[in-house]
Amino acid sequence: MVSVVFMAGPCAGEIRILLFAGLREQAGWAEQQWPANPNDDAGLTPRQLWLKLQLPGDLDQAVRVSINRQFADADTPLQPGDELAFLPPISGG
Amino acid sequence: MQLRIDLHSTGFEPLVVLTRWQDEQQHRSNVQSAAEAFFIGRVRGVAADGRELEALELEHYPGMTELQLERLALDCCNRHGVISCLVQHRIGRVLPGEAIVLVAIGADRRGPAQRCCQELLEALKHHAPFWKREWRADGSSEWLSGNTPL
Repeated sequence: MVSVVFMAGPCAGEIRILLFAGLREQAGWAEQQWPANPNDDAGLTPRQLWLKLQLPGDLDQAVRVSINRQFADADTPLQPGDELAFLPPISGG
Repeated sequence: MQLRIDLHSTGFEPLVVLTRWQDEQQHRSNVQSAAEAFFIGRVRGVAADGRELEALELEHYPGMTELQLERLALDCCNRHGVISCLVQHRIGRVLPGEAIVLVAIGADRRGPAQRCCQELLEALKHHAPFWKREWRADGSSEWLSGNTPL
C-alpha cells in the first residue's frame, strides 16, 4: 500500500518536465530538465515548451497540463524550479 | 469530516477494508453515520475491443495523484456535508475480477451519501491522474483514452 510518495524536485533554475503513459511512449522519454534561462525563457509557457520539444499530437485536443501537481492552463508562464507535466487522457477508477 | 485515501500496489479485499474502516469510524467519531453508500469497481475480463483481457496496468503520477484525490474528496464531501469518506485505489498490474477502486461515504441521510459517492467516483475517474493500459491474452497492449460510459 502506498499512501505518500515523494519524487525528486527540479534543480533550481530548471523546469522539470514529465510525461506519462501513452504520451511518454510516443515521445520516447519520461523526464527532462529544461534549463530556464531568465533572458531567453522569461514567460515561457507549457504550450511553447510543447512545441520546442516537438511533442506528438495536438496539445489542445487531449492533453492536460499540470504545474507543480495542480492542473493549469497551457498558457501559464512557467518559473524556474517548476514541475511541469503533460497528462494524456485520464482513465481512473 | 474524516477522510482516508490509500493507493494499493498489490491486491486488496474491499469488504475487509470496508469492515476495518467501519470499525475505526465507530471508535473514533462522536458522530455516527446513519447512512452509508459504497461503490466497488472490478476489472472486467474483456478488453475494450472485445478480446480476452489478461490484465490491466494502472499508472499514476506519484505525488499529484494523492493530492488530487484529496482535493476532489474534500470538495465533494464538503458540498454534500457528509461525515466520512474512504477512497482506495489500485496501482500497478490488476487482474480480471480484482478490485480496482472502492469509494465509501458515511452521512446522516441516504441522499447525501449516495450522491456524494457517485459524484466522487465520477470525479476521480475523470480528474485524478490515473492511466489504464489493457494487456490482452495475445501479449498485445493498448493505453485507454477514456472511461467506459456511466
